[in-house]
Amino acid sequence: MKTNKLRIAAILLVVMTIGFSFTTLNKVTVKGSDTMVILSQKWAEVYMKKNPGASIQVTGGGSGVGLAALINGSTDIANSSRPIKSSEVEKLKARYNTLGVEIPCAKDGLSVYLNRANPVTALTIKQLGQIFSGKITNWKDVGGQDAPIKLYGRESSSGTFGFFKDNVVKTDFSASCQTLPGTAAIVNAVKKDKYSIGYGGAAYAEGVKDCAVKKDDKSPAILPTAATIKNHTYPITRYLYMYLKSKPTGEIKAFVDWILSSEGQKLVVETGYFPLK
Amino acid sequence: MKKILFTGLLFVSCLINAQEVTNDTVKSNSVDTLKTDELTRLKESVDDHSMKLAGYEERFSALETVVNELSKIKVSGYIQAQYEMYDSWASDGSQHGIPVTGSAYEDNSFYIRRARIKFTYKPIDGVNFVLQPNFEVHQVTLKDAFVQLNDRWLNTFSLWVGQFNRPTYEIEYSSASREFAERTLMTRTLYPTERDQGVKLEADFATKFEIPLKLQFAVLNGNFGEGALANQAKDVDNGKDLMARAVYSFKFPSKGLGIDFGAHTYLGNTTVIAQTSPVTVFSDVNNNSFTPNVGDKLKKELFGTEMQLYYDFLGGLSLKGEYIRGTYSGTTNTAQVNTLFNANKVRNVEGYYLSLVKNVGKVNEVSLRYDVFDPNTKLSGDGVKTKDDLKYYNWTFAWQYYFNDYIKVMASYTLPVNEKSLNAGADYIKDKHDNIFTLRLQARF
Repeated sequence: MKTNKLRIAAILLVVMTIGFSFTTLNKVTVKGSDTMVILSQKWAEVYMKKNPGASIQVTGGGSGVGLAALINGSTDIANSSRPIKSSEVEKLKARYNTLGVEIPCAKDGLSVYLNRANPVTALTIKQLGQIFSGKITNWKDVGGQDAPIKLYGRESSSGTFGFFKDNVVKTDFSASCQTLPGTAAIVNAVKKDKYSIGYGGAAYAEGVKDCAVKKDDKSPAILPTAATIKNHTYPITRYLYMYLKSKPTGEIKAFVDWILSSEGQKLVVETGYFPLK
Repeated sequence: MKKILFTGLLFVSCLINAQEVTNDTVKSNSVDTLKTDELTRLKESVDDHSMKLAGYEERFSALETVVNELSKIKVSGYIQAQYEMYDSWASDGSQHGIPVTGSAYEDNSFYIRRARIKFTYKPIDGVNFVLQPNFEVHQVTLKDAFVQLNDRWLNTFSLWVGQFNRPTYEIEYSSASREFAERTLMTRTLYPTERDQGVKLEADFATKFEIPLKLQFAVLNGNFGEGALANQAKDVDNGKDLMARAVYSFKFPSKGLGIDFGAHTYLGNTTVIAQTSPVTVFSDVNNNSFTPNVGDKLKKELFGTEMQLYYDFLGGLSLKGEYIRGTYSGTTNTAQVNTLFNANKVRNVEGYYLSLVKNVGKVNEVSLRYDVFDPNTKLSGDGVKTKDDLKYYNWTFAWQYYFNDYIKVMASYTLPVNEKSLNAGADYIKDKHDNIFTLRLQARF
């Protein structure tokens, strides 16, 4: 290096690196899965009551939105109702040089909601896939009345959408599947429409009935209950996750540790989900 | 009199009573009328609002169709504007800087390195159309233009047809994400302009089979980035070059550790498409002269390995490296010339790099890279007769500051150290002063 300009630039570089390294933020932000938003808000509320100095801000938006926010640095914790995708891990590698940290924090069953007046009570995973992909369009083909099936589902940014697509539909959703913003909206729509069907977290099924699900034709029909979800006999069971950029420290670590403690897991049950153990 | 008074009182009483009955009837009638009016008005209002809602619904449906179509188009892009300083001296100290046009030399400049917009259109699930032009001060060139078909049954295979990045780690790692101002000399020389035209089949076994293995196989024209721009539009020699790459990822989540291992190969040729009069003489891998005939194929075969290690230690840390060796050929024919391998020759080449990147806090990243490229492994020291055969050892130090996901600043300083030779020109008797400092602002969306 020959010039003074370059020396100055190098010194500036070192000083700025050291200076910016000490920039820290105290507030913990949590963003992502709409399925987890009520649970996460409850966690934050109780945790902040117990730790008056802590500030936890929780917002929804969908698992994809939360993970995108984690990658672009606008959230500390991403809530996701599906496992992180390899393409998202590649983005974490490129930006933060880590693989991210995956923390399963609860279990959930994905219910298939039916209107209470619908005589159909059980469906196989294959039938559900054919219904949501548009191959079966009439209830009579699955033992119901002669009426067209009305489909309700989530937006593509939702982890619930992704999980249901990967594990049940296994192809594209039918173009006639109406997307609604949030599980509560789906429950509400199914409640009003006798010939409709929707899916979402088991905790939301109020005013509708859960469809019993069979793994295949020969398997028994299983309803999503606390027992069947905890022991994984209900076929559409999933973990709910929190994702971090790197190993947690400080306030984030304290919050995560508390969520995984018996106290945090007790709130999982109170909110209608299922604890890890 | 009493009778008259009584009759009178009775009449008045009846009259009053009659009046009250009349009043009650009138009151009842008017309330009913009022209710009917109100109901009518309410019904009209409901009808009016229903019609308005139906109108909105119709307009919303039309808008929804438009929005759904628009949501299939994704637009992204980035601009890299930078200030560069060149510490470049002629051996006698007479000139400082790098030549531009004529005899002018410059030692610093502002420069728009990248101005790109990428359009991705996804008409249906599993199909992507990608178009990425690059805007330069004097021209617009096409960087990416391909159709990507993803298999919808196994979620494993994808077929790319068009113009896309050649499959190596350093090339596929976007310059928008890269921690250093430029790619290594090895990659820039062996894979000029990174891209080529052809067809590529990718298999990623992670999604469906949970096997972290990725395979890539490509058939390429082999002449992109070489020769005049017009010649790059099509193959110039009929022969197609092949590329293959495999990457396997190991993950140790409890240790915060991930390691990707991979290997790639490039199997191609430089075909002699014309001869001059008098004939153009080439030199072979042993530096002996030979005269090829038109149609002769000169070897271009490369074999490489790669490793990327990611470790969560006080924030992220990565250690990356690639090693490539093989036989490479070049020509000065204007239709095929590679500006960084600009001679009529066949050479055994070798190169590698190691880079260390550390995230410091949430917004800082410091990086160090050491890269080596030997364009002629058969010669060294004073045996090297031309600067094009000199081996280079390059150090690069860089720092990045992320204002947010969209804007970052990079300071990068590269110190190329050349092999010394008494016979490769006066500039290379000792290490030529040719360091470069880059201060870059990048904005992406």
